[in-house]
Amino acid sequence: MPIRTSSGRYTAVAQTLHWLIAALIVTQFALAISADDLPIGAHKLALLARHKSFGMTVLMLAVLRLLWRLRNPPPELPAGMTQVERVLARISHAAFYVLLLAMPLTGWLMSSAKNYSVSWFGLFTWPNLIAKNEAAFDVLRSTHHILGDVLFVIAVLHILAALKHHFWNRDDVLLRMLPFVKLDRAKSEDRS
Amino acid sequence: MRGRRAASLALLAAATVWAASSAAGAPTGYSADPHQSRLEFVGVQAGAEFKGVFHKFTADIQFAPEALASSHFDVQIELNSVDTMDKDRDTTIRGADIFDVAHFPTAHYVTRSFAKTATGYTAVGALTLRGVTKDVPIDFQFTQAGTGARLEGSAKLKRLDFGAGQGDWKSTSEVADAVKVNFVLALKPNN
Repeated sequence: MPIRTSSGRYTAVAQTLHWLIAALIVTQFALAISADDLPIGAHKLALLARHKSFGMTVLMLAVLRLLWRLRNPPPELPAGMTQVERVLARISHAAFYVLLLAMPLTGWLMSSAKNYSVSWFGLFTWPNLIAKNEAAFDVLRSTHHILGDVLFVIAVLHILAALKHHFWNRDDVLLRMLPFVKLDRAKSEDRS
Repeated sequence: MRGRRAASLALLAAATVWAASSAAGAPTGYSADPHQSRLEFVGVQAGAEFKGVFHKFTADIQFAPEALASSHFDVQIELNSVDTMDKDRDTTIRGADIFDVAHFPTAHYVTRSFAKTATGYTAVGALTLRGVTKDVPIDFQFTQAGTGARLEGSAKLKRLDFGAGQGDWKSTSEVADAVKVNFVLALKPNN
């Protein structure tokens, strides 16, 4: 009798944070791409103001998510995964956490270097992390863009991997990040 | 002999005029030392404050606490000298939609009346910016320092009163209408 190594789904808190951050990241890409095409002006300023507010929200949620994860370890990976798959999963998840912190932090540093302080939805203003520095701004902007590209690639791989687990391996890797569904798909049993 | 007499008469006349004006409380004339003075404004952009300064301005200050009625400030600001510590923002501010420095290179502030307040003084004056003249009151403190003086104060104005924000910049959702002005002038007596 095969042993189900999956110890159930992610906690409700982890799920909420996962989907909230996912939705924010999609919004962030949309805002960044729209703003990039605009000339300097009020409209660009408006989009970037929202991008910064959402970005700082992601930073706060990512910190919460990491703290939560430290006290509430995620469910085990399915038994059927190979060693290579396990390592890839670990690396991509670690990369996500690094990027969830690095994206907002480089953005915040960028704004500081440009002397455009970051407001959080007009409610309060985050302190500038570094002094005005045009050269640092250029480096930080490139870094922010490159990290954004990396995040995009990892997010696509993440989605493809989740779909592959669901439709190909027919395990509960995708389902356990979803609320309201039963985890009765231990289909790895059928295949083994 | 005649020369000396004329000279002493002139001296006497000058002394009389000086005594008379002093008794009536004539203000002392000062000008701001550009290296130790600061004219700053604080705006709100995308919800966050930003500061800018004008590097070039002249301030002709005629002031004495006991001669408020005849005191007078006249300040000329070179708008092209605006510096918000970001060249993109400075270029935008100098542009046609905001200061339009190509057509309106200077701003001008002239006082009309002064009054004593609990903490210092207040003045009513007219600010001309972008060809629009409107009253802007200022609150300030005046401190004698040796032969000179220190003038420190602030004012609040609305940028759209002066049309400083055309097109998209008329919206106050990204750049607030209210702008605060702070100044510290190191005054040297005119000779």
